[in-house]
Amino acid sequence: MTRLAIVINQDRCIGCQTCANACKMENNVPMGMLWNRVITVGSDVIDGAVGTYPNLTREYLPMACQHCDNPACQAVCPVGATYTDEAGRVLINYDICIGCRICMAACPYNARVFNWEEPVRDPDFNYGHKDVPVRPRGVTEKCTLCKERTDEDREPMCVTCCPTKARSFGDLDNPSSAVSALIREKSAYQLLPERGTSPKTRYFK
Amino acid sequence: MTSKKADTVARAATPMPNSSKKAIPAIVILAIITLVGIGAWVYQLANGLAVTGMNNGTSWGLYITCFMFFVGLSAGGLIVASSAAVFGVRQYKQVAKPAVLLSTVCIIAAAAFVLIDLGGVQRVFNLILHPNLTSPLMWDVLVIAIYLIINIVYLVLMGRRSNVASDRALAITSRLALPVAILVHSVTAWIFGLQIAKVGWHSAILAPLFVTSALDSGLALLLIVLVVLNATKLFATSKKLLSSLAGLLAVCIAVDAFMVGCEILTMAYPSAPEEAAVLTLLFTGSSAPLFWGEIVLGLAVPFLLLVFSRLRESVGVIVVASALVVVGVFLKRAWLLLTSFVTFNVAGAPGVAYGRSGLDGTDIWSLIGTYAPTWVEVTVTLGVIALAALIYVLLAPRLFAGEDGHLELASAGAPAFATPLEPALPSADASTAAALGTAAKTT
Ligand code: SF4
Ligand code: SF4
Repeated sequence: MTRLAIVINQDRCIGCQTCANACKMENNVPMGMLWNRVITVGSDVIDGAVGTYPNLTREYLPMACQHCDNPACQAVCPVGATYTDEAGRVLINYDICIGCRICMAACPYNARVFNWEEPVRDPDFNYGHKDVPVRPRGVTEKCTLCKERTDEDREPMCVTCCPTKARSFGDLDNPSSAVSALIREKSAYQLLPERGTSPKTRYFK
Repeated sequence: MTSKKADTVARAATPMPNSSKKAIPAIVILAIITLVGIGAWVYQLANGLAVTGMNNGTSWGLYITCFMFFVGLSAGGLIVASSAAVFGVRQYKQVAKPAVLLSTVCIIAAAAFVLIDLGGVQRVFNLILHPNLTSPLMWDVLVIAIYLIINIVYLVLMGRRSNVASDRALAITSRLALPVAILVHSVTAWIFGLQIAKVGWHSAILAPLFVTSALDSGLALLLIVLVVLNATKLFATSKKLLSSLAGLLAVCIAVDAFMVGCEILTMAYPSAPEEAAVLTLLFTGSSAPLFWGEIVLGLAVPFLLLVFSRLRESVGVIVVASALVVVGVFLKRAWLLLTSFVTFNVAGAPGVAYGRSGLDGTDIWSLIGTYAPTWVEVTVTLGVIALAALIYVLLAPRLFAGEDGHLELASAGAPAFATPLEPALPSADASTAAALGTAAKTT
C-alpha cells in the first residue's frame, strides 16, 4: 500500500504564502478560492502576533486537505464522488458530484471549496498542469496532492516551491521515506486528532 | 347517515365543488407566488448558487433550514393520524384525511428544497447510479421516498369506500407509517448529528430533538389548517377535538423544551472552549435573536397559552399558539444549522476564502462564517411554500369536500366516539362548520 502525505515543519515556515499561490497556479484554481492557505494561528490579521507585548508568539499553519485516513467527507458523500485512491489520496470525481455540500459540512478543517459561480480565471484561460481536470460550476474541489504531478513521481507543487523547504513529501507506508523518518524523529502531530479523521498530513515544530 | 355519505361522495366527485369556488382568489394568489418562485429558481439555475448568500464558510443556508423545517412539519399529520389508527385513539382518526394530505404536501416541499439546494441538480440521477450507503444524505433520500409513497398510499386508501379489504390495507399502512415517520425525522437529524466536525451538531439527542420539534410544529400547523378548513367549510372539526389536540401540542412543547434544556446544559457544563463558543453565539451573539426567539415565542408563550384548559377552549388562542410554535421551530432550525458554521475549527487569518470572484484583495476572505439569505433564496422559498399550499388547496376539496370527521366516522360503521359536540348545535355538519367558522372569526 501507498499512503502519500505531506509533513510540514512549522519552525521553517515563514508565512510567505508561496505554497498557496503555487497550488493555485498549478491546479487552475478559480478566482475567489484557494486549495491551500497559510493561517496565522489565532490572529485576526495575516502575520499578526498573539499575546501581550513583549510576550508575543506567532505561528503559521499551512492548511489544505489533510488527506485523512478516515475521511469524514468521503463517508457522507451520497454519491461516492469523494473517494480514496490506491495512493491514499482523497479525491473527488467531478463528473459524479451533485453539489450537495454535505462534505463541506463534514470536513473539520474547512478544506473544501465550492464552485458557487461559473469559474472565473484571471487571466481568462486555463492555467497550470495540462492534465488537471477543469471543474464545472456546482461541484466541490480541494487539494489533490497534485495528483497529476505525483502520478509522474514528482512532488506536489507546494513542496517544490516552498523557499524554506518546510514541506516534505513521501509515502507513510514506506518506513525509510523522509516523511516516515520525520514523523518518527520529530513526533510530527496531526491536526484536530479528537475528530477521529486521522489526517495523513503531519506538522512538527 | 347513508344518504349523507352519498351526498359527500357526490360532492367530492364534482370537479369544482361549491366550497372551493371561494378558494379561487387564494388559488390565483398562490399560483402567482409559485410562478415567481419558479422564475427565481430558473434565475438561480442560470447563474449558479452564487446568487444565494451561501459561501465556503457557511455552505448551507435557508434552503437546508427549510428542508429540515418541512420534513418536521410533515410529521405532525402523519404521526397523529397513524398513531390514532395504531393505538386506537378514535377521536384523532377523524382528522386523518386533512392530516395526511398536509403531511404529503410538506414532504414534497422538503424534497423540493433539497433539489433546489443542489449545485449540480442535472446530475441528481447519480443518487441512483452511484449510491453510497454510508451517507446519511443517501439514507434520507431513501426514507423520504418511502415516506412519500406511504403518504400517497394512505391518502388513496382513505379515499376509497370503506370495506373489509380497504380497512385492512389502511390498518397495515398506518402501522408502517408511524415508524417511517419517526425514522424520516431521525435520519434528517443524523445528517447533522453524525458530523463530528461541528460541536453544535454532534449530539445523540439530535434525533429525539428533531422528532419532538417535528411533532410540535407539525401538530401546530395541522391545528391551523383544521381551523382554516373549518372556517372555509371544507372540513369540520369539533371544538372539543381541537382543544384536545391543542393539549397534546402543549405536551409536545414541554418535551421539546426539556430536550433543548438537556442539550444546552450538557454543552455548557464542562465550559470547554469550543462548546462555549457555540453557546456564546447562541446566548449573546449573532444567533441570539433566533435562539431567544425560539425559547420565548416558540416554547414559553405557546406553552403558557395551551397549558390551561380554559384558554385552550378558544380557537383564537389555539391559532395564535400554533402559529408561534411553527415560527419558533423555524427559528430553532435556523440557529441549529447556522450557529455551527460561524467558528472555524482551525481559526486564524486569513480565514476561509469566500468563494466568489469579483471581490477585491482581502475581501475574498472571512475569519468567521457569515450568511444572509438573498432575495433569490427568499423568493424561491416563498415559491415552494406557495406551491405546497396550492397543492393542498386544490386537493382538499377532492379528498374531503364538506366532510365532517365525526359523521364520517359514524357512517363508516365505527362506534361514534362522542356525544354530540356542542349541545346547542344541531348535528348537521354544515351548521357545525358554520358555527365553528364563526367561532374562529370571533375569538
Ligand atoms: S481534510 Fe477534510 S476534505 Fe480532506 S480528507 Fe480530511 S475530511 Fe476530507
Ligand atoms: S458536494 Fe459532491 S463531493 Fe461533496 S458530498 Fe456532495 S456529491 Fe459528494
